[in-house]
Amino acid sequence: MPTTNITLSLEIWRQKDSKAKGDFETYKLSNISTDMSFLEMLDVLNEQLTREGSDPVAFDHDCREGICGMCAAVINGIAHGPEPETTLCQLHMRHFDDGDTLVIEPFRSRAFPIHKDLVIDRSSLDRIIQAGGYTSVNTGGTPDGNSTPIPSATAELAMDAASCIGCGACVASCPNSAAMLFTGAKISQLSLLPQGQPERKERAMAMVTAMDKEGFGNCTNERECEAVCPQGISIRHIARMNREFVKASFFA
Amino acid sequence: MLFIQFFKSSIGKKWIMACSGGFLLLFLCSHAAGNATLFNSLPLFQAYSDQLHSHPLIIAILSKVLFMVFVIHIVTGVVLFLQNRKARGTGYKVQKRAVKYSQASRTMIYSGLFILLYILVHTCAVSFGDHGTIGLTISYLFSSPLVILFYIISFIVLAIHLNHGFWSMLQTFGVNHPEYNTLIRNLTYIVPVFFLLIFSAISLLFIF
Ligand code: SF4
Ligand code: FES
Repeated sequence: MPTTNITLSLEIWRQKDSKAKGDFETYKLSNISTDMSFLEMLDVLNEQLTREGSDPVAFDHDCREGICGMCAAVINGIAHGPEPETTLCQLHMRHFDDGDTLVIEPFRSRAFPIHKDLVIDRSSLDRIIQAGGYTSVNTGGTPDGNSTPIPSATAELAMDAASCIGCGACVASCPNSAAMLFTGAKISQLSLLPQGQPERKERAMAMVTAMDKEGFGNCTNERECEAVCPQGISIRHIARMNREFVKASFFA
Repeated sequence: MLFIQFFKSSIGKKWIMACSGGFLLLFLCSHAAGNATLFNSLPLFQAYSDQLHSHPLIIAILSKVLFMVFVIHIVTGVVLFLQNRKARGTGYKVQKRAVKYSQASRTMIYSGLFILLYILVHTCAVSFGDHGTIGLTISYLFSSPLVILFYIISFIVLAIHLNHGFWSMLQTFGVNHPEYNTLIRNLTYIVPVFFLLIFSAISLLFIF
């Protein structure tokens, strides 16, 4: 695809701090190369704002290669933008047309308070992980490779679940603000593997309880999470969590 | 304690919706089977009704259970709707769905409330009437095109509700496996259309 330069109109949510009442601001950006990533486009905007002496737009990012899960925004109503299985940092401007208006909003959920502009507090997800506790590992020498046999299909499934980067797009896109895809992936990852067995039931119980405490909504199987997840995590993991939670509640 | 904790949790509420929904689906099956006697003749239907109502104990228990399950399904559904509305906080300026066909899942609360309205009308008109003459009641009822129209609209709404409800029930029970997902996807159309056809055909019987 040849590189071209496009002009964009951006409507971005600006909010001074967690207490302030935010609102949308409109910015014009011209000469944006279609080879740029979405975050590079925001960098250009911020340079422009800094030169004008106004406050740059605060947004989260770290790796910029789709693995850390820090970048997060809703673009024209879709978390991480229009490309499937793509984080915001991996989204390129070639997917937009000259003259487009982009509405950029932070991930919204009662459990994700806004710090500033597009930066949100996702520590509620960390607390779900913490509630999951530990796995028992024997001390001593390093175990020999393959001393715990795991069928490769199972290992693949566990790896699929483990690929969740904790970005929170599932929560942001869910009409109910539920965190079931995230929690389902984290519970599945360990309940599938032999190493996760000793604490399997306690873990499912504790993580679901922690999830409910954080104020996320209830899942009504809308499937939006699966559609926007940058890692393509399947709602099969939610189905597994449902089973795990019942087992843990009644057969612990 | 265990039960209370379970049913208060988000996943517990899913199970309540799925179990009560599954029970109501079974009721729909038995209702459809009973009504299917109308395809044969009105006297046979009357005979089926008389037979059914000659077991007052069974009727008393089943109708109470059915009523309870309905109430549980409706109350939990409304609670979910209200809680979930609060969970977002500030809403999005641009609201868009990434899933292509989400009309059914998006409107569950509304289709559900419409079905409730239908049930109120239907039970007042038919179920609470005199069962000894139920054949007459329905042939009189279905002589009005307006009533037929209301019934058929309700069956369409029911089919839309079932389209999401049936799939959602299986997902909640943990039935989700690549090997069966095509079958399940087909069933989410077959099951609602089946009920739509059979009930609509019954309400249309009387004008032909
Ligand atoms: S499940 Fe997907 S969308 Fe949700 S936090 Fe993990 S990677 Fe992000
Ligand atoms: S910045 Fe790390 S995933 Fe986007």
